[in-house]
Amino acid sequence: MLAMAEEVILRGLPVSKGIGIGLPVFFSNWDEDVPQVQIPVKEIDREIERYRAALALSCQDVEGLRTVSLKDGPSEIALILSTHLEMMKDPMLTTAIEEKIRALQCNTESVFQHLIEEYKRRFNHLQDSYFQERVRDIIDVCKRILHHLCPLQRLKIGELPNNSVVLTHELVPSETVEASPPLISGFVTMAGGITSHAAIIARAKGIPYVANIDIKMFKHLPLKALIVDGSQGLVILNPARKTLKKYQEIKRGHQASYRQLKSASHLRGETVDGYEVRVFANLENPKEVDLILKNGALGVGLFRSEYLFLAKREFPSEEEQFLIYKKMAVALKGSPLVIRIFDIGGDKKVDLLPEQRDAHYFSKIGPELNPALGCRAIRFLLRFPELLYAQLRAILRASAFGDLQILIPMVSDLSELRQVRAMVNEISKELGIPAKKSIPIGCMIEVPSSAIMCDALAKEADFLSIGTNDLVQYLLAADRTNPHTVDLYFATHPSILRMIRMIVASANCARKPVIICGECAADPALIPLLLGLGIREFSVAARHIPLVKHTIRKWRILEACRLAEGALEQTAAQELKDYIAAETCR
Amino acid sequence: MKLVCKVKVKNALGLHTRPAAAIVRLLQPHKSNVMFTYRDETINARSIMSILMLAAKKNSQITITIEGDDAETTMTHIVRAFEEEFGEK
Repeated sequence: MLAMAEEVILRGLPVSKGIGIGLPVFFSNWDEDVPQVQIPVKEIDREIERYRAALALSCQDVEGLRTVSLKDGPSEIALILSTHLEMMKDPMLTTAIEEKIRALQCNTESVFQHLIEEYKRRFNHLQDSYFQERVRDIIDVCKRILHHLCPLQRLKIGELPNNSVVLTHELVPSETVEASPPLISGFVTMAGGITSHAAIIARAKGIPYVANIDIKMFKHLPLKALIVDGSQGLVILNPARKTLKKYQEIKRGHQASYRQLKSASHLRGETVDGYEVRVFANLENPKEVDLILKNGALGVGLFRSEYLFLAKREFPSEEEQFLIYKKMAVALKGSPLVIRIFDIGGDKKVDLLPEQRDAHYFSKIGPELNPALGCRAIRFLLRFPELLYAQLRAILRASAFGDLQILIPMVSDLSELRQVRAMVNEISKELGIPAKKSIPIGCMIEVPSSAIMCDALAKEADFLSIGTNDLVQYLLAADRTNPHTVDLYFATHPSILRMIRMIVASANCARKPVIICGECAADPALIPLLLGLGIREFSVAARHIPLVKHTIRKWRILEACRLAEGALEQTAAQELKDYIAAETCR
Repeated sequence: MKLVCKVKVKNALGLHTRPAAAIVRLLQPHKSNVMFTYRDETINARSIMSILMLAAKKNSQITITIEGDDAETTMTHIVRAFEEEFGEK
């Protein structure tokens, strides 16, 4: 049977380059459509038994959690859990579901799916956000029961067997962070765009990733192996021996050329004509500090501190943060460590269960109609100053052990920088840090307002950091994860070039460093353009450093400037794209 | 015996999870059949999920229908709970 499985080639959206060969693992988010399976009449009783067992286990879960939270923990939590218990005894969940299983003769999961859809439909058209929030309770309960129905879905990405190709509806950043190359050889998803956070991490880790693939349809196919071609955007099911051989060769080729690049990555980042270009690393996982130094980084140009939260699903305390930052600072031996303070909210959210410790921060904000324009990053931190205070204090304490710098995400007004600086000054006084040794504070330029007001920000900030991923999305009003606007999302739109030129000019005028840390900083086709626009500092994922340095070392500043001048004359996105493609192939 | 009575939702947040749970708990010792009607929908008041499904906000008019031997005491209890805003006053 398996031998007869035919080779099938599917085309999707290439998200992260490389070739992955491995065994399929369906990694289900609960939101995913559950296939509806008809159940023969004689097995209905067994299906109902299965449901009752799952319900009983869920009750036990909540009962246990409640006992714990009654002992210690806020009374609200115990109350919420009591409500969840009541829900599980609710006739709509007990008899009604059983009746439906009997009537429809299909699997419990699909009956649940219908029920949840029904609730969502009803509540979503209500304008009242409080009621909308209530659906979460229902969904939480349903989710718990669903988990018990299919315990396999509780797989963790970090615990998969070697060479797994993860097939799922959508990747969330907190899961992607746990993935590592020997275990995970590829990602295939239904949703997700090129610049989603999960995609950025996949690229940083060198895990091939293809999106926009309808994985539902091959759940029913006999699957032995599959190839993920993240460069072409292909997914090949049950590859024939010939195909497999071809791809193994390509993969070996990639590995060899990467090794070659890497062997040159200790060289200085400088252009042919000797201009120094400083290359730093972006970092999510504090443990990877050694890796970035090995790859030839001058330091950490962007530490995405929110991953400390995303990985743990709760905010680390001041002491925990202090120890992490201190350890990183020591490992960096005096090289810079730019800590971007928590960029939480928007698309970087985890669905915390109401009983989790820090869920209240998010429930206070509630579901936002437009999270990308919502209460996230510095807005979120200023809303909850206790979080900001703890983080700044941890950074300042750790700053005694190295060259630490603070980066504020999503600044949209000068007042935000001033508030952070005021708090930093206050904490410095508490800690007795002399004013002379004040820590540098930088602004992310990723919101159009701050790009336009860049001259004012440059005067007061100690450095600027251009986050192109968000800047492009906000400037072009194109959602970077929406498949329908992906065509509009040009990292090289003429407007972006002009904006970058403006930011660099403001920074130069105020004699402040400016660093670029978006995805496009690692694109070999765009690096010369950025050099020509005046960028002299890059921060990219550690594994891209060899390639970035290699590209920089091939160009002369004068040529790069000419390239940029020509590029600035292009007025339409496609023209500019064609121009860059024609001028940078070398 | 069958009783029908109209009540108004007085608490600020409407019939959300907590009041819904309170209603279900309150009904547990009673034997009668209790239905809520709001807009064109009639639901079993012993089901939290159904009560939530009504999405009845503050100032909604709910018609309570109770059928059974202890209809009278049940009605007294439940009307009082609505009056007292389920302890959220």
